[in-house]
Amino acid sequence: MRLEKCWFCSSTSYPGHGIQFVHNDAKIFRFCRSKCHKNFKMKRNPRKVKWTKSYRRLHGKDMTQNSTFEFERKCNRLERYDRNITENTLKGYLAIKKIDKIRVAREARHHDMRMRGKKAIVRQAAAMELEQSIHLVKAPAALQEDPSFTLRKMKVKISQSQMEDRMEK
Amino acid sequence: MVQYNFKKITVVPSGKDFIDIILSRTQRQTPTVVHKGYAISRLRKFYMRKVKFTQQNFHEKLTAIIDEFPRLDDIHPFYGDLLHVLYNKDHYKLALGQINTARNIIGKIAKDYVKLLKYGDSLYRCKCLKVAALGRMCTVIKRIGPSLAYLEQIRQHMARLPSIDPNTRTILICGYPNVGKSSFINKITRADVDVQPYAFTTKSLFVGHTDYKYLRYQVIDTPGILDRPFEDRNIIEMCSITALAHIRAAVLFFLDISGSCGYSIAQQAALFHSIKALFMNKPLIIVCNKIDLQPLEGLSDDDIKLVMEMKAEASQTVIAQGDEPNDESVFLTMSALTDDGVIAVKNAACERLLNQRVEMKMKSKKINDCLNRFHVAIPKPRDTRERPPCIPQAVLEARAKANVEKEKRKLEKDLENENGGAGVYSANLRKHYILANDEWKEDIMPEILDGHNVYDFVDPDILQRLEELEGEEEGFQLEAEAEEKYFEIDGKELTPEELEALAEIRKKKSLLIQEHRMKKSTAESRPVLPRKFDKDRKFTSERMGRQLSALGLDPTAATNRARCRSVSRRGQKRERSLAREGEDGDAMDIDGEQSSKKLRTRSRSRSKSRSKSQPPGEVTPGEGFRNSSQKLKALKIAKKSVKIRNKTARRGEADRVIPNLKPKHLFSGKRSIGKTSRR
Repeated sequence: MRLEKCWFCSSTSYPGHGIQFVHNDAKIFRFCRSKCHKNFKMKRNPRKVKWTKSYRRLHGKDMTQNSTFEFERKCNRLERYDRNITENTLKGYLAIKKIDKIRVAREARHHDMRMRGKKAIVRQAAAMELEQSIHLVKAPAALQEDPSFTLRKMKVKISQSQMEDRMEK
Repeated sequence: MVQYNFKKITVVPSGKDFIDIILSRTQRQTPTVVHKGYAISRLRKFYMRKVKFTQQNFHEKLTAIIDEFPRLDDIHPFYGDLLHVLYNKDHYKLALGQINTARNIIGKIAKDYVKLLKYGDSLYRCKCLKVAALGRMCTVIKRIGPSLAYLEQIRQHMARLPSIDPNTRTILICGYPNVGKSSFINKITRADVDVQPYAFTTKSLFVGHTDYKYLRYQVIDTPGILDRPFEDRNIIEMCSITALAHIRAAVLFFLDISGSCGYSIAQQAALFHSIKALFMNKPLIIVCNKIDLQPLEGLSDDDIKLVMEMKAEASQTVIAQGDEPNDESVFLTMSALTDDGVIAVKNAACERLLNQRVEMKMKSKKINDCLNRFHVAIPKPRDTRERPPCIPQAVLEARAKANVEKEKRKLEKDLENENGGAGVYSANLRKHYILANDEWKEDIMPEILDGHNVYDFVDPDILQRLEELEGEEEGFQLEAEAEEKYFEIDGKELTPEELEALAEIRKKKSLLIQEHRMKKSTAESRPVLPRKFDKDRKFTSERMGRQLSALGLDPTAATNRARCRSVSRRGQKRERSLAREGEDGDAMDIDGEQSSKKLRTRSRSRSKSRSKSQPPGEVTPGEGFRNSSQKLKALKIAKKSVKIRNKTARRGEADRVIPNLKPKHLFSGKRSIGKTSRR
C-alpha cells in the first residue's frame, strides 16, 4: 500500500480515495478527489490554479527546495529488509517525526520571510485611507474645528430654556 | 499408396430431406414473382427455368452420391471383399443402381415437361405443368428413399472402418478366440483394443502401428476364427479370413497352450491345418501364448506332437522362401501378461517380413534402376578395442545423490495436505526469505506513518543525515532570530480612536457599496419617486438630525429650519427660534412649546384635507392660466358642458360601473378558431 500524491493538487491521496487515469502512453495520473479530476478533465493547468501546491511553489508562496525533501525519495530498487534501519526510521529515534517537525518549522519561517514587510505596508495603507476618506464620517466643518482624524463624541447643545425647564421639573 | 478414405463421402440425405433441400433451393435461387399480365414467353421461360433448375440439382446430387461411393470392382480386393463381407455386394450394387435409374428418370421427366411448357398458353396452365413436373420428380425420390437410407448407413459404417493400407508392411495376428491376440497388440502398439474373458470380444479388425529398425509396421488384430466349414462362417470370421486372404503380411498364428481359452490344442491345430492354405507365400510364425499358465515343457506328448507338426509346416514356408530353417524365427513362446518374450516375437515377425519384402523387391524389375544409386557406407573399425560412452565419476555420484534426495524431500504439497488442504492452509512464503538475521523473517513492517510512506524514508545512513539536518536547523533558527531583532518596526501606529474612525469609514464604505449593488440590480425596474411619496419615512428631520450629529455637526439649526418649512406646517405661524436668546415671558415659551407639540402630534393627512382658503378665480402659478378672467371663463365652460347631462340624469364618468366583472361569454366556451389558453 502506498500513499500517492495527487497529480493536480499534490496532496496525499489515501488508499480507497480518488481516481487513477491511465494515459495511452502508460503515464498514470492520480487524483485525490473528484475536484482535481474534473479540473484535469477541463484541461486546466495546475500551475495556474491558485489553490494547488504547484502554483504555490511556482510563485514562491511555499518552500521549493529543501534538504528535508531529500529524505523522502521514492526508491525503485528493492532494499533488503534490515530491522535496525527500519527501527531507526520508525520508532527508536523517531526519524520521520523529527524530519516532519523540522520541515514544518522551515515552512513557517519561509512564510514569515514572505510576510515580513507586510505590517508596514498595511499600516501605511490604513493611514492613507483614513486621511482620504475621513469625509465620509466627519463633516469638513467638524474637521476644520478638530483637525485630528478621530470621531468625537458629540455634545448636543440643549437650549438653556429646555435646561431650565428640566431643572424646574 | 492411396489410403482409402471412406470418410470423405458426403452425407446421403434421406428421401424427404432430399426433396426439401432441392425444392427450397429452387425456391430461393430462381425468381419467384410472376403476374398474369406478363408476356406469355416470359411466363413460359419462368416456369421452364424452375423445372430445369430442379432437374439439374437432382442430377448433381445423385451423381455425387454415385461417384463417391466406391465401386467394389475398382478397389483393392481386400477392401472389396471386406465390403462384400460387411454389406453384401449385391445389395450395395442394387442400391447404387436404383439411384442411377432415378437420376435418368428425373432427366426424362424434365425433358418432357419442358417440351410441354413450350406450348403453355396461360399462366395457370404453365403453373400446373410445373407443379406436375416437380411432383413427379419428388415421387421418384420418395420411391428410392429406402435405398438412400441404406446407403447412408453404409456410409456411416464405412467411415469407421480402420484405415488399413493393404500394400505396406503388415503383421496379421490370427488364431482361436480368446488366445491373447488383442493383449499382444495392446502390448506392442498404442492401440487400445478391448480385452475381455469372453470369446468374440474383438468383432472387427483393429489396426495398430509399431516400429522396427526405423520402419513403421501395421499390426492387424483379427477376430477369432473357429474351425468351421467355409460356408458356415459368420461375418466377423469372414473379416479375418478376408484379411488373411488378401493382405500380404507376416502371419502370427497364436496358440494357447494352457487351454484357458476353452479350446484344446488339438482343436487349434485342426484350425491351423484347415486354413494353412491361406498362409501361402507369407512368413508364418507360430506363437505359443500364456506360457505363464502352462510352460511348454509341461505339455502332454500328444500336444507336443501337434505343436511340432505345426512347427514343421511353418518351417516349410521358410524353406520355400529360400532361407535356412531357424527354429527361433518359426516357433516362439511368450506371455502377454508377464511381457515375457513379447518383444522377441515382434522382432522376429518384423525381421521375417522385412527380409521377404526386400527379397521380393530385389527380384522385381524396378530395383535395377535404383540399385546403382545406393551405397551404404560402413566405417571400418580401426582396431578391436571397445569404446563405450564415457561418464565422469562425479556426475554418476551426483545423479545417484539427486535421486536419493528426490525421494526423501518433503514437498510443499505434502505440507499443504497435512495442514488441512488447499482452502485451509496458506503457504508461509516468508520462510524462504534471505535476510541478514533469520529472526527478522516474521517481522511486520508498517507501510504508512503520519501520512508518509515508510519505504521512502528507509535508508541505512538515515541517522547520520538526521543529525546533520538537526545541526543545520539549529543554525537556521539562530539566524532567523537574529534577523528578527534587526527588523524593527518603525513605529507609526494608529491610535485606538483613529482605528475606530477607520473602522467606521470601512463600514460606511461597505454600506455604500452594498446599496449601490442593490440599486444597480434593480435600476431598470425601480420606480423613482419624488420625496413627498416617502412611505418608509426615510426623509424625516430626525433622521437628518441624527446623520448630521454622526458627522460631527450640530443638527439643531438644520432640523428647525426643516421643520419650519415642512408641508404640515404650512399656514402655521413661524415658530420662534428656540435658540433666540433674551426672550421674556413664559407665555411665549409655553406658546412655543405648545405649537411645537401641535406640530409633533398633527397628522399629515389632516394637513392635506384642510384646503387652502382661496377665492375661486385666483390663479395659482403653475395652473396654466394667463389671468383670473381666463380661469373664470374656463370654469364656466366646464360647468356648462355637464349641465345638460346632469339635468337629463345621464350616466357620466363618475357613474361608470362594471356590472359583470367576469362575463360568461369571455370566460367560457370553445372558440371557433384560435386558442383558449388566454382568457
